[in-house]
Amino acid sequence: MIGYGPAMTPDQTAIVETDPLVDPATLPDLIGWTLKPEGLCRDDRCVIVSDRSTLDAAGTIDLRHVAQLLDRPVAVDEAAGVVALGAERSQRRGALQDLRAPDFRLPDLDGTFHALSDHRSKKRLLVAFSSW
Amino acid sequence: MLQDQLADHDFQVIAVAIDEAADTIRSYIDDDTDGITYPVLLDAHHLLTELYAISNVPTVVLIDADDTIVQPNWNAYATDTFKDFTGIDSGTQLDAIRRWVIDGETLMSSDEARDVVDDLSHDEEQARLHFRLALHLRDRGDDEGSERNFDLACALAPHDWTIRRAALPLRGGDPFGPEFFELLAEFDAAGRPYHGVHHSGRPG
Repeated sequence: MIGYGPAMTPDQTAIVETDPLVDPATLPDLIGWTLKPEGLCRDDRCVIVSDRSTLDAAGTIDLRHVAQLLDRPVAVDEAAGVVALGAERSQRRGALQDLRAPDFRLPDLDGTFHALSDHRSKKRLLVAFSSW
Repeated sequence: MLQDQLADHDFQVIAVAIDEAADTIRSYIDDDTDGITYPVLLDAHHLLTELYAISNVPTVVLIDADDTIVQPNWNAYATDTFKDFTGIDSGTQLDAIRRWVIDGETLMSSDEARDVVDDLSHDEEQARLHFRLALHLRDRGDDEGSERNFDLACALAPHDWTIRRAALPLRGGDPFGPEFFELLAEFDAAGRPYHGVHHSGRPG
């Protein structure tokens, strides 16, 4: 089994109530990443920030730049003051190019979370359906 | 049901509703005469459609024990409920699934599997984010902001059913009203685009 990070949960696609320009100190609370001298870090992973001037001009950090660095899509509704960050694109690329099934963790109707990886070592049929 | 028939073959069905209508999904489970013995999960924020580039339902993905996708996004049906609409016969699809589970026979090579699902476009990615923003703003009581983001999402991905059709009931529309038939006509005119393999299960 190839390791490729923790199971995705809805929490890992963030909706943040903020203007896109934020105080870097708030980043860990907002999106779980921290700006450190070595780069943007989360757990034991760091993404190198090559041009720091675009990030912390005027003491703020732009979530759109952060998203770009993390290779995550981002959308801003300025009128409402909300920013949405999508999942890291490497997850989907892993599925489409490397045929590596992205893991995820979602709740059942009783609120109990299940992950695709709970059933590792079995052949799995994943079916997306809906009521609409 | 497939899960029960194949349970002795280390096989697991996982169903994910791209949906927040928990009560409706619960009624499906309660109404299923065979009894559903596999997990049914709720994906209100459409995480799965972003991770797997899913644009319509049902979409089936067959995943081997080592996490390799052997059959990417496949417009397959486990029942004949929608056969009249789609012309898709679930029987041949179920046979193909059984052959994979029991004999390890896949429907396509890995080279073919890598080629059959187009990645989401920038607009389709953005549509997913605006859809989530619309849900978030609705929950916050900002109906105008919610509508603004639903409008954006639908304009960015007009042929994506997980966006436009899913938004319809959430915005108070009639799921089979004029907006549905408008979507269907535009979807047909665009050649029924789908991120994945059509019902035959085979590429090309």
